[in-house]
Amino acid sequence: MNSGSGKPVMVIGGGIAGLTAAVELADAGCAVILVEKSAGLGGRVARMHQYFPKLCPPACGLEMHFRRLRGNAAITVLTLAELTSVSGSPGDYEAAVTVRPRCVTESCTLCGECAKVCPAEREDDYNYGLAKTRAAYLPHGMTYPALYAIDRTACPANCRACVDACRYGAIRLDEQPEVRRYSVSAIIAATGWKPYDASRLDHLGYGRCRNVVTNVMLERMAATDGPTAGRILRPSDGKEPRTVAFVQCAGSRDENHLPYCSAACCAASIKHAAYIRALYPETAITIFYIDIRTPGRLEEFYARASKDTNIRLIKGKVAEVAESPTGDLLVTAEDALANRKSTMQFELVVLATGIVPQTDGLPEGFRRDEFGFLNVPNRNGGLLAAGCVRRPAEVSFSVQDATGAALKALQCANRSVSHGR
Amino acid sequence: MADALAIQPDVRFLKRVLASGGGDLKKCYQCATCSVACELAPEESPFPRKQMMEAQWGLKAQLLCDPAIWLCHNCGKCTERCPRGARPGDVLGAVRREAIRHFAFPGWMGALVADPKWLPLLFLLPALIFAAVAFWAPKPVPAPPFEFGSVFPASVLEPLFFAISGFALLAFAVGVVRFARGIGETPSAGFGAALKDIAAHQSFKQCDDASMRLAHQLTMWGFAGLAMVGTATGIGTMAGVLRTPLALESPLKIFANLAAAASLAGVTLLLARRVGRPASTYFDWFFLAALSGVVFTGIAAELLRLAEARAMYGVYFVHLVLIFGLLLYAPYSKFAHLAYRTVAMARSRKFNARS
Repeated sequence: MNSGSGKPVMVIGGGIAGLTAAVELADAGCAVILVEKSAGLGGRVARMHQYFPKLCPPACGLEMHFRRLRGNAAITVLTLAELTSVSGSPGDYEAAVTVRPRCVTESCTLCGECAKVCPAEREDDYNYGLAKTRAAYLPHGMTYPALYAIDRTACPANCRACVDACRYGAIRLDEQPEVRRYSVSAIIAATGWKPYDASRLDHLGYGRCRNVVTNVMLERMAATDGPTAGRILRPSDGKEPRTVAFVQCAGSRDENHLPYCSAACCAASIKHAAYIRALYPETAITIFYIDIRTPGRLEEFYARASKDTNIRLIKGKVAEVAESPTGDLLVTAEDALANRKSTMQFELVVLATGIVPQTDGLPEGFRRDEFGFLNVPNRNGGLLAAGCVRRPAEVSFSVQDATGAALKALQCANRSVSHGR
Repeated sequence: MADALAIQPDVRFLKRVLASGGGDLKKCYQCATCSVACELAPEESPFPRKQMMEAQWGLKAQLLCDPAIWLCHNCGKCTERCPRGARPGDVLGAVRREAIRHFAFPGWMGALVADPKWLPLLFLLPALIFAAVAFWAPKPVPAPPFEFGSVFPASVLEPLFFAISGFALLAFAVGVVRFARGIGETPSAGFGAALKDIAAHQSFKQCDDASMRLAHQLTMWGFAGLAMVGTATGIGTMAGVLRTPLALESPLKIFANLAAAASLAGVTLLLARRVGRPASTYFDWFFLAALSGVVFTGIAAELLRLAEARAMYGVYFVHLVLIFGLLLYAPYSKFAHLAYRTVAMARSRKFNARS
């Protein structure tokens, strides 16, 4: 089957939505150019310990996508790449992609010698700043393509330690950025999301109180490949907490921050409570909420948590967090069902921060709604969106959404052919 | 459900709250941020989250007899922190306004003062009275120049103001009794503690809003001083032991001028704060304008008298009209908070003492 004009579809973002769109398009016979900003595919899903509600690892799903991708001639994967400009019309776009140097060639065998000798460090955004990597780094254990990368912005001047250490001659420090131009029929932005900046929630103590962390940080702590190797340790003293509070709607549903519901945080916190309950059966968990939003199949997930005697659910938004001298947190909220305000002490506080659409650097033409999501209906348009950049959602929704976007892209390609463009 | 609770919303009440500053009430989704933001909200039955729900439901009876609506000092922190822009502080203000109207005696006076369309009538009445006094009241012979008594004789003014004050006190008493009955208990034990708090502005300190505390304290003590001087002078002149104008160096006059200065500073600060608040209502302005108008015209009249300018009579006329309004309409305007809040605080203190 030949799809439409024969022009490829470009997918921006190599997370779960972008990967889904790419493999579905390729399966429908359409050529795909998959553009990923970081050094490896996987996105936010790769950073997860488990999915809700089944509590299975992200390897299922992500691994399947990688297998479909690997060796599929229809898909061109560009990593360290960003779409920088778009012109043209539906069915006939000219897209310019800037590719930054990886400085590591396909000869890399993942032996890791380069990282061992590398003297420089960089912030590990895979671990949300909880750890650092060397300037010569592997994005993560499941990464695709399975290649190291060198972050030249972190390299000391004139250092060639990695080049000397690499027995396969895979390192090219003098690689330069290049701009590649593609003629494509449609572009799917699957650029995903970023967590809301918790330091802006001044009353909730992030950045001011050492043991206030965000939900994405907790997810990394729970992950076995994470900075604490799967243990939940509070930052101030590395203690395993015996009391944990979850602050729901940390920024979401708040016109001073994110006016919308981020859709996934309620189930995520229930999932996190499950992690902690499995690791530390004695630990008592309190979830402060405005409304628990677990629609559809998640209702059962919530019901299970609410039956757990070690999980207390308090209806009332936390509005004040302070630190005690021991590093414990003093959390003030009104229990709205009891009409009583109190300050409770916890050893760890987790802010359920919300989902912000990741549209940084996306060229003009992708239309944003009032909240910054690419959720503006665009009938017959060729600049499409899928996943969390379109609306805040859980993983399974993003996968379905990406499949839908793939269909829209195919229709766009075919329409341009039948109209003789 | 064993016992079904019939909720009877008072739609007229709800509409009035929505119209008088509580317009964003329905945005509230009960997150309870406000109850934490409020430093005055106690641990047991904190406000204003619960009151927001009751207001949404139009539960007039519960709300108007809830002391909590008077414990709020309107610092606006809850409104600032509200994630929905539901403006709980303004809603409580609107509910207090409804409470004043509800407990008003006679009831039609409450309705008259609450509605801007009657504003001209409210001030036409004293304007006519004082114009009549100026034209027809018997003047002292000979009439000394540059004395207010030559145009507005004390022999007429003093009984008039005592009558107005007496009526206002009666109206206050009836309103307070109605409110106290609504609360369900006679709050007598907590009065001492409440008055102590009010005198020192302790609750304002908790609000952590230094400028409001200072403004309110200056205004309250300034007006208390002026009321005392006014009463003393009134009794003194009627008894024939005092004669106005008092000499500038007389202790009573010195005290009066100090009180006027404190009031001036207080109302100026209050006006400065009010100007910046977008949600100010007619009810807010009615009281503050009467209050500050009395201070400004009073001081201006005194200065003009000392300068021997004939304009003193005109300014004094306005001053008299405003005082008349401030006193007679006190039980139906925001001024009434001094009575209801005191009762509510006494009730709340009593609770604290018991627990």
